[in-house]
Amino acid sequence: MKSSVGRDWALRLLVFSAAVGLWELFVRYSQNFLLPSFAEISSALFRLFLDGRFWKALYISNQALLLGYAASVVVGIPLGLLAGRFRWMDRLLNPYVGVLLAMPVAPLIPIVIIALGLGLSSRVFIVVLFAFIFITVNTRAGVRNVEASLIEMARSFGASESQIWRRIVIPGALPAIFAGMRIGLGRSITGMVMVELLLVASGLGRLLLEFSGRMQSDLVFATVLAVIIEAIALLTAMQAIERRIAGWAPDSSIG
Amino acid sequence: MIKVRGLSKEFGTLHNGSSGVLALSNIDFEVRDNEFLTVIGPSGCGKTTLLRIIAGLIPYDQGEVAIDGRPVTGPGPERAVVFQNFALMPWADILTNVTFGLEIRGTPKAECRATAKELIKLVGLEGFEQRLPKELSGGMQQRVGLARALAVNPQILLMDEPFGSLDEQTRRLLQEELLNLWERERKTVVFITHSMDEAVMLGDRVMLMTPRPGKVKEMIDIPLNRPRSREVEKSGAFLEVKEYLWQNLRAMQVSES
Repeated sequence: MKSSVGRDWALRLLVFSAAVGLWELFVRYSQNFLLPSFAEISSALFRLFLDGRFWKALYISNQALLLGYAASVVVGIPLGLLAGRFRWMDRLLNPYVGVLLAMPVAPLIPIVIIALGLGLSSRVFIVVLFAFIFITVNTRAGVRNVEASLIEMARSFGASESQIWRRIVIPGALPAIFAGMRIGLGRSITGMVMVELLLVASGLGRLLLEFSGRMQSDLVFATVLAVIIEAIALLTAMQAIERRIAGWAPDSSIG
Repeated sequence: MIKVRGLSKEFGTLHNGSSGVLALSNIDFEVRDNEFLTVIGPSGCGKTTLLRIIAGLIPYDQGEVAIDGRPVTGPGPERAVVFQNFALMPWADILTNVTFGLEIRGTPKAECRATAKELIKLVGLEGFEQRLPKELSGGMQQRVGLARALAVNPQILLMDEPFGSLDEQTRRLLQEELLNLWERERKTVVFITHSMDEAVMLGDRVMLMTPRPGKVKEMIDIPLNRPRSREVEKSGAFLEVKEYLWQNLRAMQVSES
């Protein structure tokens, strides 16, 4: 186990170095003075971390992320549970699920802003639109994949519907729920940045617009990198929780 | 005593009246207290359906199924089921799996644990309490299934091809252990199988079923003394009953294919 973890990290590092190397080569030969080298991006990232405006922007963006993601979880999981367990609910939701999965969310942003204004609520709503359906779909699949024989077993001991939920359906679906929450988190972060870039200029999106307006491409890249670092940190934390709670199951995510 | 009278069950009946597949047709039989009844028949004879009806897991259309005179309307505390695919919760350790039935029935935690530990010992899995099912072999997993069923101290044990997915050696070992266990506990057992050896080795009687629709062909007494050991397999009576079953099953199989 230990050695495979070591090998994983060695490989990851290798891929990372290769990507950085290719980037450096591309920048050098493209002669495009607007493309920052990796070293420039790194130093920009460092400057960004020392800049109070960055932390302020991060704080503002994360408000929308936190609220939107929490709402996505609170809405997405129960819907998925119901759709997974009850046929009629599934039939009712199915067309909407299809629409929500296929629909590009970005073009809807102006409409949401017309409806909800330029404030926090618009940003939160967009994050929810980006994320919740993936949580729902994964939760539904998780419930569906709970072995019918386990439910039958529980019933054979006289389990009530609520006991079946608590003891069989939810624990059985937990790995898929977590997978959905991970995908949902990624989508939330995308949504958060997207809405700030496209219309509600605030937080990290506003910072990005400012930097690109001033052609400070190194800072643009650094900001994107900072978002990626945050995403990786959050996803890693989530995976650690997942492994503790639902470590019995192999990974099974949809999205 | 389990009493089944005129039992019929149809699958896939639609609301518009078009009829589905008749799984069981006019089944009549009784299982006496402390009797070990084995049920054998080709696939499609509805033996598993019959067991699930007795377990109260699925409804039936016609007839009567009663336990000690009370009609079966759902699962009950006097019955416990052992499933073919073990039906263990993959996220829960062995101890939790064994206490499941007790906990569902509201037994206090401490008592659950004590009973479960006793039964885990009885099925020879002491020391495996904290393991997950996936860490155990198929044979061990079914021991867990058996312990879970016995933990609720049922009067009737309903076993649905419990050793069907195990390899030959493991199956034989578990058959012997089940025999020993039954000698001590004398539960009423309904045991579904597709193995003729198993049917004769374990049962007091074998119920032979025919397929499409599932019917009782014959109830056959097994004239073998108890307690039984592997030695009975060499006896004339064993071979005779087995041969008789084979002749019947062979005829059904031939007419099918």
